[in-house]
Amino acid sequence: MTESPTPSRRTPPLPDEAAVIARAADGDRIAFTQLMEHYQNACYGLAWRLLHDADQAADATQDGFLHAYKAIRSYRGGVFRSWLLRITANASYDILRRAQRRPTTVLPDPEEGAPELPDIHAVNPVEEATKSELYRHLEVALRELPPDQRAAVVLCDVYGMDYNEVAAMTESALGTVKSRIHRGRLRLRELMAEHRELFTR
Amino acid sequence: MLNSNHPDDERLSALASYDTDARADTSLTGHVSSCDRCTDLVNELGALRASLAELPDLVPSRPLRLLPEVEAPPSAVGWMRRIFAPMLTAGAALALVGMVGTTMPALDGMASGGASQAREDAGAEDLGGEAPAVVDGDDQESVDDRGVYRSAEPEPSSALYGASDGDGGGDVDTAGGGNDEGESLARELPAERSPWPMVLFVGVAVMILAALLRWVLVPRAG
Repeated sequence: MTESPTPSRRTPPLPDEAAVIARAADGDRIAFTQLMEHYQNACYGLAWRLLHDADQAADATQDGFLHAYKAIRSYRGGVFRSWLLRITANASYDILRRAQRRPTTVLPDPEEGAPELPDIHAVNPVEEATKSELYRHLEVALRELPPDQRAAVVLCDVYGMDYNEVAAMTESALGTVKSRIHRGRLRLRELMAEHRELFTR
Repeated sequence: MLNSNHPDDERLSALASYDTDARADTSLTGHVSSCDRCTDLVNELGALRASLAELPDLVPSRPLRLLPEVEAPPSAVGWMRRIFAPMLTAGAALALVGMVGTTMPALDGMASGGASQAREDAGAEDLGGEAPAVVDGDDQESVDDRGVYRSAEPEPSSALYGASDGDGGGDVDTAGGGNDEGESLARELPAERSPWPMVLFVGVAVMILAALLRWVLVPRAG
């Protein structure tokens, strides 16, 4: 049994991110630490949603940091968060593949990892409480998906990766990825049917 | 999930995610715009996507190691820390050897042979480079009871003895004076110049230096 992660707001870019990245690429370890500290919740969230295991998610996040540290000199612009999330997703997939080669019998807790508390800093507490409830049900519903569909939906819909990126990351054909995303989405809709009132447009 | 009257739900999902192929399919978009069921489905899937995209980040359940330590570049401090153990070992070995050598007369004699030879060489040099003839005692007729060289043709070097009379031959007194000086120089060398105390001293010094390095470089509690 692993502890439930606490939700946090989506991480915005650092105010002086380009300068910090440049310093990190020049070998400034403090700058690199600053970046990792800033994005650790984002990376951990992705790893946890792919792996649904707190320890494995922490390991994947740290593996991602190690890869990022080695590769940051090759970073050529773009959204740094997306670059880091791709690395984390790859690290998570490495762990997933290793786990599949050595399967264990740990049974998942359907409630594990579900956001529980509304944001106390919310401007509109009612709205935030409703969103927290929606996120909690979504997390539970995501866990109900078959692993391949869940990974495709998480990478594409939660973290905004395009079909080609997901296909490369999951080592799957493009058509297969599209099909998994659409089927996963439709299955999620079914699972969320009881909580339709929580959705807002 | 293909309905006879409706497009495939996966096509509707593609439309909900603004898939360019789906949006370019006029028969699909035409049907959706005129079908309440399909419009609702596309709207629901769109709302689902929007909510998924808003899912919050998650706080790790344990502190993460942000900076990979395995990639830390070797620092001077780290290098000095690594040499502490070999340095201490080398110092201890030197000190032990020095202590054994100092306390065992047999070893001391072996090692001081070199010093005795140096002493003899120094004396021989002072006597004009004829060292074996002077000190071996084989040519007693050429050495008096004080060990002073009595050559039939003494040719003291002016460079060695500082003779300035310029007669080239010199006399016995001059030569004798030179020999006295050489003898005194030879006596100045220690009779038993053993290297072991120095080895002991160097070993202890290396150990102290290693201990100092460790004390300075290794973080202490508090």
